[in-house]
Amino acid sequence: MTVLAPPVEERVELLDRIWEERPGVLGWLTTVDHKRIGLLFFFTSLAFFAAGGVEALVIRTQLAGPDQRLVGPQTFNELMTMHGTTMIFLFVVPMGLGAFGNYLVPLMLGARDLAFPRLNALSYWIFLASGLFIYTGLFVGQGPDQGWFSYVPLALKQFDPSLGPDFYALGLIFNGLSTTATAINLVTTIFKLRAPGMSLNRLPLFCYAQLAAAGSALILLPPLTLDLVLLELQRKAGFHFFDVAAGGSPMLWQHLFWLFGHPEVYLIVLPAFGITTSIIPTFAKRKMVAAPLVALAELLVAFIGFGVWAHHMFSTGMPTSALVFFAAATFMVVIPSTVQIYAWLFTVNLGRPEFRTPLLFVGAFIVFFVIGGLSGIMFAAIPFDQATTDTYFVVAHFHFIIFGAAVFPILGGMFYWFPKVTGRMYHEGWAKASFWLTFSGTALTFFPMHIAGLLGMPRRVYTYPHGLGWDGYNLAETIGGFILTAGLVLIAANLVFSRLRGAPAGPNPFRGPTLEWATSSPPPPYNFAVIPTVRSEYPGWDDEALFEDRRRLERGLGTYPDGHRQPEATVRDAYPDDVADMPSESGWPVAVAVLLSLMFALTLTSHFVAAGVVAGLAGLAAAAWLWKEPAE
Amino acid sequence: MNVFAVPARRSRARGWWGMALFAATEATLFGTIFGTYVYLRFKAVHWPPDGIASPSITIPLVLTGVLLATSAPMQLASAAARSGRARRAQALLLLALVVQAGYFAMQLQRYADDVQAHPPQLSAYTSITQLMVGADHFHVFVGLLLNLFLLAKLMDGRVTAYRRTGVQAAALYWHVVNALTVVVVLLQLSPSL
Repeated sequence: MTVLAPPVEERVELLDRIWEERPGVLGWLTTVDHKRIGLLFFFTSLAFFAAGGVEALVIRTQLAGPDQRLVGPQTFNELMTMHGTTMIFLFVVPMGLGAFGNYLVPLMLGARDLAFPRLNALSYWIFLASGLFIYTGLFVGQGPDQGWFSYVPLALKQFDPSLGPDFYALGLIFNGLSTTATAINLVTTIFKLRAPGMSLNRLPLFCYAQLAAAGSALILLPPLTLDLVLLELQRKAGFHFFDVAAGGSPMLWQHLFWLFGHPEVYLIVLPAFGITTSIIPTFAKRKMVAAPLVALAELLVAFIGFGVWAHHMFSTGMPTSALVFFAAATFMVVIPSTVQIYAWLFTVNLGRPEFRTPLLFVGAFIVFFVIGGLSGIMFAAIPFDQATTDTYFVVAHFHFIIFGAAVFPILGGMFYWFPKVTGRMYHEGWAKASFWLTFSGTALTFFPMHIAGLLGMPRRVYTYPHGLGWDGYNLAETIGGFILTAGLVLIAANLVFSRLRGAPAGPNPFRGPTLEWATSSPPPPYNFAVIPTVRSEYPGWDDEALFEDRRRLERGLGTYPDGHRQPEATVRDAYPDDVADMPSESGWPVAVAVLLSLMFALTLTSHFVAAGVVAGLAGLAAAAWLWKEPAE
Repeated sequence: MNVFAVPARRSRARGWWGMALFAATEATLFGTIFGTYVYLRFKAVHWPPDGIASPSITIPLVLTGVLLATSAPMQLASAAARSGRARRAQALLLLALVVQAGYFAMQLQRYADDVQAHPPQLSAYTSITQLMVGADHFHVFVGLLLNLFLLAKLMDGRVTAYRRTGVQAAALYWHVVNALTVVVVLLQLSPSL
């Protein structure tokens, strides 16, 4: 860093004072800083990832050989249900939107926080509470055991009188509130808080991916919420939606579930696409090829993703016209995905790629995404789908997508932004070793599942007899699972060690092109001492603009030093037309989240009047929260 | 700052966008409720099932018209807040609130009677109809609370940027709820139309 001239030092100190939050545990409970909330999301979803991973290891150990009895069928069903539910709702989505989106979007936009900082805090506390809520079921011996899509009639009261499906349904309604709040926050932030000059055509592709993911979350969560509400009304209040005798239909559950469930896959992979489009230009040292097409493809994937849900239901006896429509839509969704893959490959090919760890993870992502994508379009061929449905072939396919295509960019992103978040470098050699372990472990775990599936191994069996030709493949998968775990443990060890002992990173160790690299590592609470002015798609490579921003800081322009403030801009052109007063730290979000948890617990135990009273209290707490104006 | 005369701005505030996105996700929720209604209806031979009378038409349509009319004072209140006229915004909000509360009281009475006569536990028809209508009434109830909150905030006769955005967002909320109510009522009455 250059030595700061005295007036600059004073200006920075003033901002430090204005934006400083309480220290200690209380500070974390009341924080509204998107970076701290992003870290809370990160560590919490990582803890759930570990829980889901342990569940997966128990499952794989049980299936390592025929006729094993490590766990009984009931425990196995609970473990595989919790594994799926955890990985989808408590790990990948909160990691992609809650952790990466939360931490990075305001930094990339040149903003000081998300549009609604206190709502952001509420979103985190709801996420934490909903995760603990769902896991309470497992620990009190009433874990959900219907699989992550909890089909009726199996989940109806007469077939499962335990609280398992209620923990699942209420927990996921609760969890959906968190994702909805985060999504509203991210979209509004991307629309309104961009730095002056960052018109929509200069919006980083990472933010386009977040915009597509958050926007689709707002449309895909309501079908799930409704489905879960219908289930609870039927289980707890005797309504009729899913039983044929009273005029309902079990197919209704599946339609609503997959109307949510398939777009959810894109909600999962879109943030990963965004991470990929951030890492590739940095290490290929050139602009993204066909950037407008990539942005369009990210939005199109989210859009077409809503028209393919019934390909999860090809074996349920739908009319032929419906089958053909959904098969065609499924073929179509391949096109925008392919556009992105070619754009990534050409960017690497036309640049001067430097194969450091983040780029390696992204390269593995492309390999896995192509494999998973190819097995995915095979399901659009209806007879093939009907032959392989509910076999391990399906398990292989979606793990290549969800683990290979969503988690690998997340792992790469952890290395890529580690210097930004901690101010220190990770250890490159150990990082590469951990990459090869996770890469080979993933391939060995999930690839043989294709073959086992084609040989007829059904999914969700707690054990299988010897002599069906599945033994070798299953053993290989289990060995792969443990290699993969070793790789993940090595990643964690590297990052923890580097956090303590790593070399100082400086603001921009990789010469990244987006605005998060234009501030110090880790960034100050207000992100930017002077709100940057953007003149190109890659402001981090625009040395002249960065120099001018420093000049403006010296002259005291664009620092917004009178309170928690920052410019608010027009949606298309990012022309600053107002100054936003941002709220400061608040205890109300935690209070509202606690009251909502109580409300869901009372609903679970069928104390409906008490639940209503607590909901009223939560409303009062929200009113008290909104009463204090940010400018006061 | 931002007291009394707030200069007109070029674009919508972030609070308005937050409400617009919230309304979009709520509208989608209602969309899936409508889809469920239609799905169950197409699976049924008789809709409503034998032994349940078709709904009466006149009063629900009149009430819906009354609710729809409150979009006008809400929009005018929004415009008044935009130009910094707190008292005018307050009066218009109060006018809307009185009509909306009257609507809500009548509908709640009718809803309670209807649930008594056709409990949702009877069949898929009563389940989805009562759920759909109940969800709509709940959204009206939330809107009433929103208007009460804004009236209380405007008591000191000042329009701040925060309050201006609040009134604009509430007006948007009511427009969306009113439009959804029209669809709810048309679907609810559809067996008789």
